[in-house]
Amino acid sequence: MTIDDAHTENLAAADTDRLIKKIQLNRHSDRYREDFEELATEFHSKCPVAWNTEHGGYWFVSGNKELFDIARRADVLSNENDPDEVKRGYWGISIPPPQRRPGQPIGGFLEMDPPEQRHYRQALNPYLSPAAVARWQPVIDEITRASIDETIESGRIDFVDDLANIVPAVLTMAMLGMPLADWVVHCEPSHASVYTRPDSPDIMRVFQQMMEARANTAAWIQKIRESPRPGLIDGLINSEINGAPPSDNDVLGAVGLLIGGGFDTTTALTAHALEWLSENPGERERLSREWDTLRDSATEEFLRFYTPAVGDGRTIQIDAEIDGVRFKEGERLWLSWAMANRDETVFEDPHTVHLDRKGNRHSSFGLGIHRCIGSNVARATFKTMIRHVLNRMPDFVCDPDGAVHYDSTGVINGMKHLPATFTPGPRIGAGLDETIERMQTICDEQRLAEPITVHKGRAELID
Amino acid sequence: MKVRVDPDSCQGHTLCAMTAPDLFELSDIDGHASAVTEDVPADQETLAKEAARTCPEQAIILF
Repeated sequence: MTIDDAHTENLAAADTDRLIKKIQLNRHSDRYREDFEELATEFHSKCPVAWNTEHGGYWFVSGNKELFDIARRADVLSNENDPDEVKRGYWGISIPPPQRRPGQPIGGFLEMDPPEQRHYRQALNPYLSPAAVARWQPVIDEITRASIDETIESGRIDFVDDLANIVPAVLTMAMLGMPLADWVVHCEPSHASVYTRPDSPDIMRVFQQMMEARANTAAWIQKIRESPRPGLIDGLINSEINGAPPSDNDVLGAVGLLIGGGFDTTTALTAHALEWLSENPGERERLSREWDTLRDSATEEFLRFYTPAVGDGRTIQIDAEIDGVRFKEGERLWLSWAMANRDETVFEDPHTVHLDRKGNRHSSFGLGIHRCIGSNVARATFKTMIRHVLNRMPDFVCDPDGAVHYDSTGVINGMKHLPATFTPGPRIGAGLDETIERMQTICDEQRLAEPITVHKGRAELID
Repeated sequence: MKVRVDPDSCQGHTLCAMTAPDLFELSDIDGHASAVTEDVPADQETLAKEAARTCPEQAIILF
């Protein structure tokens, strides 16, 4: 039994007037990953807002209505992460929190509250709006084309290693204003840091890799400070946060957020969608045939069903009652985007993928003021990769024995490997290294990474 | 039927413009939506309702 039958039991002795439904669920456990649908259905009917006794105790919000009502209450919720304990000592968006070391950067503006958080977003939105992202489409197409060309003649591909890890990573580097070729420095730690369980013996090795990648980022922040080049980093350096420029450490935290958000999530979505399409060849053929009409709804449906960022933590910053639940200042809370996306009161037949689903009000990019700032990049990159695969490897078959899902889906629901075979085809252009070099030149010469307020032109793939 | 986007609720999810591109336009700067015109043409009413239903922030007001 998941839910404490004696749910009138009190959370704490002082809370005698609060009736709380308790659960015990380790989000990093096999049970959470394997029984996700059953748990979601059970929570929705019995405890859409529950007190999870794991990891120090925290509210677990899974009901769609409750999530909608709570997630948008920026007056009640705080994202603050305060490792130096100079504010309220809150713990940011991770539950359990990662190792806390004084002086380390926090998770950028995702671990801040307004007004600072708003100032960061205002500085970065012009790089990431739909219009800003559309300028990059020829580059996204080229990186995707080159990644596929590397494997097209062999008839074998690992959709994670050979495609979905590469395209979002190279594009993120380009948008930041970092060297495109440096995507390899950040790739492994970006993924390993989310799929490695906090109690794994491997965690220190992953942490070390993360530190090395962070040192690379810090060096580039310095270089761009000394010799400006367009991109998100330049935008951060020149931003005004509460009337002052952000510190090096704050820029580092923000870039870390953009790399983490840019790399792993789109990879996860693409891998899961391709795995599903392999298992459902009729639907794959339909998506390919009706691409123009199904492209958007299919993308939103994969986002809903395979919610890459499964949830986010918050801290209650004022006592408040929402939907009959009384929250107290200092309590931790988890917004389960992934479970709310499976709530049958909003989504008919919630545990089935319908490529033409209408009214798909999913919350996979979060809700409220912290909506994923890279959502437009994610959609464009995902659609490009899927379309190229459907066009050039239409009969691909994934190998279920070779597919490796994340050990823990407590943070990101992703895949490490997804090998597939297909009927080989001809290369149509240069390989990946040469293409990355060429895209670097195009980025530099056309100043593609400028914000839309400075440069409106679409990338031109001149030879 | 008339339509409006509540600018305080809209967070730039862009689903409305995806659903009903003739009814909603997105800011170049931050992707936040606004109605192209307040009046919804008769043949676009179904799409307007669909966009309102789809909005994750429920920021679209039909009246």
